[in-house]
Amino acid sequence: MIEQFILAFPMAIVVIGAFVLMLLSHSKRFNLDRLNLVAVFFLSISFIMQYFALGGNSTPFLFENIFAQSFILDDFAIIFDLMFTAGAILTLLINNDYFKSRHYFNGEYFALILFSVFGMMMLSHAHELLTAFIALEIASLSVYTLVGYHKNNKVSSEAMMKYMVLGSLTGAFFMLGTAIIYGAVGSTSLNEIALYVVNRNLEDMSLLIVGASLIMVTIMFKIGAVPFHSWVVDVYHGAPYPITMFMASTFKIAIFAISLRLYIVNFAPINNFWTEMLQAITILTLLGGSWLAISQTLVKRMLAGSSIVHSGYLLIAISSIGLGSELAAPAIMFYLIAYFLSAAGSFGILSFIASQSQKQMRYEDFKGFANRRPYMALMMSIFMLSLAGFPSTIGFLGKFYIFTSAIESGQILLAGLGILTAFISVYYYFKLIAMMYFYPSQDSQKKFPIDISTILIAMMALLVIWGGIGSSLIPFVPSPDGFIDIAKQAITSLR
Amino acid sequence: MMDHILSNIIFLPLFMAVILGIFRAPLAYLKAGALFSSIATLFLVLFLTYNFNPESGMQFTQHSKWIQNAGISYFVGVDYLSLVILLLITLLMPPLYIYMYHEKRKGYWYNMMVLQTGITGAVLSLDLILFYLFWETMLLPIFIMIGKYGNGMRQYNSMKIVLMTVLGSMSMLFSILYLGYVYFDTVGMWSFALDDLATLVFNAKTSIWLTAGFLLAFAIKIPLVGFHTWMAPAYGSAPTPAVVIMSAIMAKLGIYGIWRFGYGLFETTLTYYAPTIITLALIGLIYYAVRAITEDNLRKMFAYSSGSHLSLIALGIFLTNEYAWSGSLYFIATHAIASTGIFLMIGITYKRFRTVQISSLGGIAQRAPKFTFFFAFFALSIAGLPGTGGFVAELLIIIGAFKANFWIGVLTATTMLSAMLYIFWMLQRTLFGKANNDCEYPDLTLREIIMLLPLVVILLATGIVPSLFTPMFEPQLNATLQEVITLIGEMR
Repeated sequence: MIEQFILAFPMAIVVIGAFVLMLLSHSKRFNLDRLNLVAVFFLSISFIMQYFALGGNSTPFLFENIFAQSFILDDFAIIFDLMFTAGAILTLLINNDYFKSRHYFNGEYFALILFSVFGMMMLSHAHELLTAFIALEIASLSVYTLVGYHKNNKVSSEAMMKYMVLGSLTGAFFMLGTAIIYGAVGSTSLNEIALYVVNRNLEDMSLLIVGASLIMVTIMFKIGAVPFHSWVVDVYHGAPYPITMFMASTFKIAIFAISLRLYIVNFAPINNFWTEMLQAITILTLLGGSWLAISQTLVKRMLAGSSIVHSGYLLIAISSIGLGSELAAPAIMFYLIAYFLSAAGSFGILSFIASQSQKQMRYEDFKGFANRRPYMALMMSIFMLSLAGFPSTIGFLGKFYIFTSAIESGQILLAGLGILTAFISVYYYFKLIAMMYFYPSQDSQKKFPIDISTILIAMMALLVIWGGIGSSLIPFVPSPDGFIDIAKQAITSLR
Repeated sequence: MMDHILSNIIFLPLFMAVILGIFRAPLAYLKAGALFSSIATLFLVLFLTYNFNPESGMQFTQHSKWIQNAGISYFVGVDYLSLVILLLITLLMPPLYIYMYHEKRKGYWYNMMVLQTGITGAVLSLDLILFYLFWETMLLPIFIMIGKYGNGMRQYNSMKIVLMTVLGSMSMLFSILYLGYVYFDTVGMWSFALDDLATLVFNAKTSIWLTAGFLLAFAIKIPLVGFHTWMAPAYGSAPTPAVVIMSAIMAKLGIYGIWRFGYGLFETTLTYYAPTIITLALIGLIYYAVRAITEDNLRKMFAYSSGSHLSLIALGIFLTNEYAWSGSLYFIATHAIASTGIFLMIGITYKRFRTVQISSLGGIAQRAPKFTFFFAFFALSIAGLPGTGGFVAELLIIIGAFKANFWIGVLTATTMLSAMLYIFWMLQRTLFGKANNDCEYPDLTLREIIMLLPLVVILLATGIVPSLFTPMFEPQLNATLQEVITLIGEMR
């Protein structure tokens, strides 16, 4: 029993932290700085414990006597947990200045972040559909609230309403799909479903396929695939910068945790059924996302649009899984890590700039940025290059793995389209670099502020470069090989 | 020393740039560091050339593991072909730094150092992903230099060159990835090393598509006619050192790519594309020459002239006989030196007159005799003046063209005539006649003469005693050519 508690501790500490923060937020003695530190403290404990739990060979279920087989503790889940906690820690630390520069942040904000991290962790551990649904809703509800956190702001409130109404609607699809699968299988446990799928022919499983497709609707909505994308740009725009960063880098990854678990393990034998559908969605997502990203004038909205394109790349790999590519699943994991680093970094810089002024950031506002803040501009360029998939950054290797997996599974045209959209993306990412470097600035050069947030951003920029060209020379710093090894380890632990 | 000499040559400038950047070196140190890195690499390359064995193929190779899971390795080596371009880039860097002596903007110097690493890396790498990495990396400094330090519509033009080049390199990336996959499919492991991939056999249709991916990238870089819309604006907007690098080295890399990867991987498929490319090159020869005649901006005029000559080289490598091939390789070298000279002269003109429009220049000869001498010398060596290397090279290509086909020969020969036409007409309008403006016109300084003199010496040496240089590359060139000819037959 004690062992079980220890295993559950990394998850429990996050939710305990959330409650503690709710209590502390009413105390006068705890200002935003201290609350932030408390939140980071709880997340760090979780992170460190998970880090040492990594690599265990056994994959036990948690409290098997009480919860049956609802929670699984495998490397796959742990690696995702590490990304969630790291994402949340980065969000909290990098945005500390932003929190203080806006009047509407208060203590509950940190509790909400922790609740949503808890939901995501549950989601990655979930081995049962109802648990997954509950976890998804815990995470989503917290994020809905966070998006509308600036409640006197029209744009923010609109974003929250849009996201919440549409998100709840598609959440219902997940529920419906679960119910239908229960009708077919007689259980919502993933083990039972896997057994059911293996033992039957495709023709006998139409009910299950309907259910699984409905679940897919929810997943597509959450990752912002076209045609379920209408919320993405507005919500990313309306949310405060820290939340946009949190959503783009962390929450999006969480959705892939459950979808990989479902579609690699459980529905693997019937994945072929969705191939055409997925390919159509992928094509729409790549082209639609590029269209959205090109036509924006606000940098934040451009990044939102481009995050749709990145979902499109990941979808290419998901349909490669269905066609039997060995590379595709690790490729998705690697791409998620790469995207996590680059997106968190670029949003971090945006939020840093936003903490100094109240302006919305259009492309034009970046004119002369390299003169004012040369180091920031350099780091922003690195993140942009990585997002564009420029070689010598980690983003290139991410795309490398995705496209080779697509070619391996015979989706040559899809790989070609992916490369074409990567070419288009060069335009809107380089446009920002051009704005930063090619125009003179009236203001004089400002000093590089050395504090925790800028140091973290700089470390991420270095990691982006090192992840693209590094070798395993430096211990404890993952190299390109190290990252893909982690990804492979995660995928093997699934089976 | 000899094991890692190529890596030293590649990474020395980048290393220098990073060190100087970390310590935020003041301008004087920055200049000294850049010049030191260029001279140090020059010595390394000369040392390499001294130890180079012309009779054997790939030398000084270094093959280390890099990203093993993806089969990407760090694989560099040098042979006759890469040695020529390597020598060029290292020879040109010191004069460029001398030219930039008064440059106060620090970013300029950093970009040049990164650029040198990108280009040498691309020339020496034998792993396709590594090649792609350097190929893209060398674009970034050009992007920044045109956009930040250029003139005219610099932002627009730098975006244009980046987008067009990236379109080409993305198509190349696609081919590279597919090649890697085919290797994986047949052998069971990933590899992107050139000698591994060269063992693969494709069916005709696949091969045609894969070759197209590579050729698009190289055609844009050269640029062949039809892929050239970025050229004149970019040359017009770019600052002088960037123009020199683009015209002298980067355009040649397109040719190098066809030579190395086209003939290394898809010998037989190139014959499928040969008629198209030869036609494009012939059109380019004449079209660019006509544009050069009508152009009033000196930079753009020599951009077109450069395009015309590069079309000639592209034509030469598709005519598989020894005259055309050795002519092409020789022309790569001599044209690089000559166009460096002329673009530096144009840069000097711009510094003094703040204009490069032919119509607003004139009467320079009376006031600046030294300037006139160098300007006329470089311009004439571009036109193929007998006694300079360009003449030998062009003659070889034209003989090769006549050997392949009489009409191709006739059309190719027009390039010499048209070049004479636009060069002499330009010289007449800029150097002689009446002065169109009355500003003071100082003659060349000693520093400028020191910078230009080596180029003159090399051009004369290549023209008067070609036998000094040919032994370096001829044996291997002929050996490679024989291999190609046995595979696809001599071009008719």
